[in-house]
Amino acid sequence: MFGRILRKSISKRKSRIAIAVLSVIIGASIATALLSVSMDVSEKVGYEFRKYGANLMVVPETDTIEVGFPGVDFGTVTEQRYINESDLWKIKTIYWRNNVLGFAPLLYSVVTVENEQNQQEVVLAGTYFNKNVNILEPYSSEDSTIFKTGIQVISPWWNVTGRWIEDPHDNDSSMVGINVAEALGLEIGDEYIIRYIIDYENNSNIKEYNLTVVGIINTEGHEDNQIFVNLQVAQNLTGRPNKVHTAQVSALCNACPVDTFAGEIMDAIPYTEARTVKQLVSAEMNILGKIEDMMFLVTIVALLASALGVMTTMTTSVIERRKEIGLMKSIGAENRKIMTLFLSEATLIGIIGGLLGYGVGFILSQFIGMSVFSTSISPTVEVIPIVIGISVGVSLLASILPVRKAVNVEPAIVLRGE
Amino acid sequence: MTYEIVKIQNVVKQYDKKTRALDNLNLSIKKGEWTSIMGPSGSGKTTLLNIIGCLDSPTNGKVIINGRETTGLKHNELTRFRRENIGLIFQQYHLIPYLTAVENVMMAQYFHSMVDEKDAIEALKRVGLGHRLEHVPMHLSGGEQQRVCIARALINDPKILLADEPTGNLDQKNGEIILELIRELHHEGHTIIVVTHNPEIGDMGQKKVLLVDGKISFKNNNYGG
Repeated sequence: MFGRILRKSISKRKSRIAIAVLSVIIGASIATALLSVSMDVSEKVGYEFRKYGANLMVVPETDTIEVGFPGVDFGTVTEQRYINESDLWKIKTIYWRNNVLGFAPLLYSVVTVENEQNQQEVVLAGTYFNKNVNILEPYSSEDSTIFKTGIQVISPWWNVTGRWIEDPHDNDSSMVGINVAEALGLEIGDEYIIRYIIDYENNSNIKEYNLTVVGIINTEGHEDNQIFVNLQVAQNLTGRPNKVHTAQVSALCNACPVDTFAGEIMDAIPYTEARTVKQLVSAEMNILGKIEDMMFLVTIVALLASALGVMTTMTTSVIERRKEIGLMKSIGAENRKIMTLFLSEATLIGIIGGLLGYGVGFILSQFIGMSVFSTSISPTVEVIPIVIGISVGVSLLASILPVRKAVNVEPAIVLRGE
Repeated sequence: MTYEIVKIQNVVKQYDKKTRALDNLNLSIKKGEWTSIMGPSGSGKTTLLNIIGCLDSPTNGKVIINGRETTGLKHNELTRFRRENIGLIFQQYHLIPYLTAVENVMMAQYFHSMVDEKDAIEALKRVGLGHRLEHVPMHLSGGEQQRVCIARALINDPKILLADEPTGNLDQKNGEIILELIRELHHEGHTIIVVTHNPEIGDMGQKKVLLVDGKISFKNNNYGG
């Protein structure tokens, strides 16, 4: 019977209910749009930041050895150390592993470049471009055992003429910084020789490699002065198999403390130090935080407007139905039943408004995503229960005063002929 | 067994300093009795009906309905007591406009205890509306609406039926149908209290009470009616 009363009372007052639902739709759609944008864009903004480079640098822990005699200090020397390439997969096994977007090892050496016209000393950097790294012991059984990573993943913003090196076993291709290319007159497709002297003292044990230019890099940074090759080329050339100087890590850290992140990498590869590029991280955190604060405020204002709309409609409804309420009470309805009737109506308004609001909000989020962030917003299923919960909550809260009014209607009203 | 189903002792109802609707009123009504309450507008008839119907409480005095003192009962206790003991028939019928005739009767069952559609249909058949069960009030005549109101008042088998100007909005023919129904209910043993301006209806009661300025100015027992 309760269901019949509720259904018929709602269908009798369709336009009134529609206004209340519309109020909820406004709040729910804005909440949906901003929640979706906030959840999706904080990640996307993170990715945008990642375009400007790695935010963590993993280097071998350095040992300094004091040199001198007792009482005579000659200073310190630092022993050159390396990270084992075979340990790099461990970066993807930390607790915050899903926030590791990519990493790229780097092994540097100074080589002599020679072509038909010129000869010059240049820094050669061996790295991964886009390589499938095997994760030997994943953190969880649900994690993938293959991770595609490299300098192309963490530095997609590099301006490359020609192409990236795609095959990790390609020993012939190289990508040349624009300054090197200009100095040596190199163009795409040109071949040149690099020489590396292993024994400097005797200028002996010289290794040579023939390389072809497949891409010219323009970053307006130090990369413009370097030549990039596959890591194994650099390792073979310099006789340092399995060694890298450093690994640049691109980490998405809008929800995690970046220092913890760095600490976990150090735990995973104990002989390394992970240094954070704090300026970038804090700027990123700051901007994301401000965006989220603004969205939160706008959502609150929208929900307040919704609540006001629902409250007005419910109050009008109570005033219009005073006699009906009085009659129900006069024939034995307890306050609890009157409250249940109105609160059920409010709950239904909240659910319908929340569902429709989600739909409208999703469209709105696409608009915001495209016009503000130039990206589409992925539908987030988690938002649906949140938005419906918020809509029902707002609708119920907005109904408290009208329901109190309904409960206070005197049953004697039906006999006064008012 | 005949006993005093309504006992009103020294009841005062004061709305504000100037308005005293009932002034030290004493009245007793026996079980199965038909009592007519009459009086000019503002004499306190509706206030008295509200107090007997547990829709309102007196400022002072004692009200005992069906052996229980209702003065001092809390709001929800009064509601429970009312739905167990009182059936209300209104001049304006007060049917829920969006519910059908049978649903209006079932609603009273729902607020009382359990809904039984068969019983609700029986109650409507009894008042001659077996053919109008699924009609909403706007599709029923005034007399039919009043009969739905009576079926609703009867559905929970109340001890006392209170009728406020039950024929006040009806033409003579429909008014007679309603009065005939009330008469039948009385013969079945129901205690009936009718507020009316109409002297003919007033004369139908076994007891007639005339209220003036919140006081009983005249009371007679007419067991011939």
